[in-house]
Amino acid sequence: MAIDARAPGLTRRSVDDLADAQREPDWLRARRQAAWDLYEATPNPRRTDEEWRRTDLRWLQWESLTPSTPQDVVGGVPAAVPTAALSPSITVLVSAAGARVIDVSPEAQSAGVVALDLAEAARSRPELVRDHLSTTAVSPEQGKFQALNAALWQGGALVHVPRGAVLAQPILVVACGDAALQQPHLLASLGEGAQASIVEWWADSEAGSPALVNGATELFVASGAQLTYAHVQALALDARSVLSQRAVVGRDATLASTNVTVGGRFHKARVEASLVEPGANVVLNGAFRLGRRQFVDHHTTQEHLATDGTSDLLFAGVLDGRARSVYAGTIVVDPEAQRTNAYQNNRNLLLNSGTRADSIPRLEIMADDVRCTHGATTSTLEPSHLYYLRSRGLSEAQARELIVEGYFEAVLDRVPHEGVRDVLREVLTGQTPADRDAAGN
Amino acid sequence: MHNGSGADALVIDGLHVSVDGMPILKGIDLQVPKGEVHALMGPNGSGKSTLANTLMGHPAFEVTGGSVTFKGQDMLELETDERARLGMFMAFQYPSEITGVRVSNFLRMALNAQREDEISAMEFRRLMMEKMRLLRMDPKFAGRYLNEGFSGGEKKRNEILQMAVLQPELAILDETDSGLDIDALRIVADGVNTLRSADMATLVITHYQRLLNYIVPDVVHVLIDGRIARTGGKELALELDESGYEAMTAAQEA
Repeated sequence: MAIDARAPGLTRRSVDDLADAQREPDWLRARRQAAWDLYEATPNPRRTDEEWRRTDLRWLQWESLTPSTPQDVVGGVPAAVPTAALSPSITVLVSAAGARVIDVSPEAQSAGVVALDLAEAARSRPELVRDHLSTTAVSPEQGKFQALNAALWQGGALVHVPRGAVLAQPILVVACGDAALQQPHLLASLGEGAQASIVEWWADSEAGSPALVNGATELFVASGAQLTYAHVQALALDARSVLSQRAVVGRDATLASTNVTVGGRFHKARVEASLVEPGANVVLNGAFRLGRRQFVDHHTTQEHLATDGTSDLLFAGVLDGRARSVYAGTIVVDPEAQRTNAYQNNRNLLLNSGTRADSIPRLEIMADDVRCTHGATTSTLEPSHLYYLRSRGLSEAQARELIVEGYFEAVLDRVPHEGVRDVLREVLTGQTPADRDAAGN
Repeated sequence: MHNGSGADALVIDGLHVSVDGMPILKGIDLQVPKGEVHALMGPNGSGKSTLANTLMGHPAFEVTGGSVTFKGQDMLELETDERARLGMFMAFQYPSEITGVRVSNFLRMALNAQREDEISAMEFRRLMMEKMRLLRMDPKFAGRYLNEGFSGGEKKRNEILQMAVLQPELAILDETDSGLDIDALRIVADGVNTLRSADMATLVITHYQRLLNYIVPDVVHVLIDGRIARTGGKELALELDESGYEAMTAAQEA
C-alpha cells in the first residue's frame, strides 16, 4: 500500500504539531499526549460492545482520519443560525482555526463573563481550564471518541460565568467548518450562584459541511448556579457526528439541558449529567426529528452521587422516511445518594412503517430510599386525530405537521428560557436538513 | 317538507353505507334546507353516528349506494377537509385529544384554511373572546391543549366554540348532549341557538328528547335500523319520549 505523504493520518506527531501551533502550555500538551496514548490503546468500538450493538460504525476508517488544517477558517456565523432571534449576549464562532469571540454585549461585559479560545485560555486563564478540561466531565478514559477529542480537539471555546453573575440573554457558541474531521470542544463553567443560558450550535459553514464532527461539551455548574443549556445539531445530511456531553452539577444547582437533533446522516450522542453534591436538580431534554435515512443514537446517563438530587429526563423523537433511532438511558444511583428522585422517559412517534426506534432503559440503583421511574412509548399517527383535524378544514399535510409540532411541546415546555425555547421550536418545526435533502438541494 | 330543498340544501338520496362489509345505512332519504334545524333521533345502533361520519367523510365508512349533495356539489367525491372548507362542520361525539396543540392556534389555522386571506392576530383574538363569552368559557381555555384533560362538558363546549368561530353553512351535532349535565346542556344549547341563522342548515343527532327542549327542531326524523322510519314536527320527539323506540320498531316490523 502506497503511503500518501499529504495525508499522513493521525499520529502522536499530530498532537505535538497542534500543541506547537497553538503555543499551548506544557501541562496541556502532556494532557493531550496522555489522551493520545489512551486513544491508541483503546480498541475501536465493535458491534459486540453494548454501547455499539445497534449502531453501525463500518463507515468509519480510523486510520484514514486526518488532522484539520488551521486554514479551515470560516467567515462569519452561518446564516442558518438564528442569531437575531436569540439576541445573544456573547457570540463565539468556533472552527478548526480556533474560537473567535464576535460580539459581547455590555450586559455580558459588566457581568465579567469570560469567553475565549480554549488554547488561549489555557495560557492566559489556566485556573479556569486546568481543573476542568478533560478531567471529571468528558475524560479520555471514557472511550475511543472521547480520547480522540481530548488528544486532538481543535477549535475549543471556554465560557465562564463568574460567581453570582446573572445573564439574561443566552451565550451562543457556533461550531462550524467543512474540515474532514472537526473536533470542537466547549468547556463551560458557572461559578456559585451564577445564572446563564448557553446555546451550542453545530452548523454547516457556507462552504459546506464537515465529513465527521467529533465534539465534546463539558459543563460545570457550581453550587446554587442555574444553567439553561441547549445543543442543536443541524448539519447537512452528508455529515456524521459524535457528541460527548457531560455536566457536573453541584450543591443545590440546577441544569436544564436540551439536545435538539435534526441534521446529519449519523449522530451518536452521549448525554450525561452527574449530580455530585446534595440537592442538585437536573432536567435533561431531548428532541429529534429525522427523515430520509438519518440515524441517531442517544445514550444518556443520570448519575446520582449525592443525596436529595432530582433528575428528570424526557427524550422525544419523530421519525419519517426510513429514519432510525436508538435510545439507551441509564439511571445510576450511588449507595450514598439517598432521597433521590430520578425519572426517565423516551417517546417516539413513527410517521411511517419504514422507520424504527429502539428504546433501552437501564437502572442501577444501589440506594434504598429512592424514587425512580422510567418509561418508553413508541406510537404511530392516530388516524382518528387526522380525521378530527381534517374535519376542520386542515389538509392532511397540515394536520400531520400540527400533530408533530404538538408532540414536541412536551419537551419545549421544559425549556425555562423563552427565547431559547422559541428558537428550538423553530429548528424542530421549520425546514429540516432532511426536508432540504428530499427537495434535492 | 314545506320549504322545498333549494340548491343550497343538504340532500341525501338513497344512501347505503357499510362498515367492514356490513350494511348499516339501508337507503336514507333526507333533506335539510338552510335556515332549518332538523333532529335525527334513533336508538343505539340505528346508524346515527354512521350517517354523521359518512357525511363528514370518515374513511372507515363505505358508501355502497346513493348520493349526498350540498350546495349543489357531490360531497362523496370530496375529502374530509374539502367538505369542511365547503362549509360543513361536525361536532364530534368523542373529540380527539391532541397534545401540544393549543385551542387558539388550531382554530386560527382552521379558520385560515377556509378564508381567502389570513385573519390578523388581533381580529382573531377578538373573535375568540366574543365566542368564548357566548359559551361562558374561561379565556384561559384558548391556551390549553386541544381537549387534553378536558371534562366531558368542556369537550362539548369546545366543539361548539369551534362551530361558532368557523361559522359553517351545514352543522351536524353528533350526540352533543351525551355526557352533559343540565347546566352544560343549557349553555351548549344556548350557543347553538345563537348561531341559528338563515344561512345554516343544522342536523342535530340525539338519542334523547331532552336536548330538543332547548334546541327546538323544525323537523324530526326517526332512524331505525338504517332507515328513516318516520318524519314529523317537533311533537314527534315528545311522542317518542312517551312511547319509546320499541313501539315504533314494532310498528315498522308489523
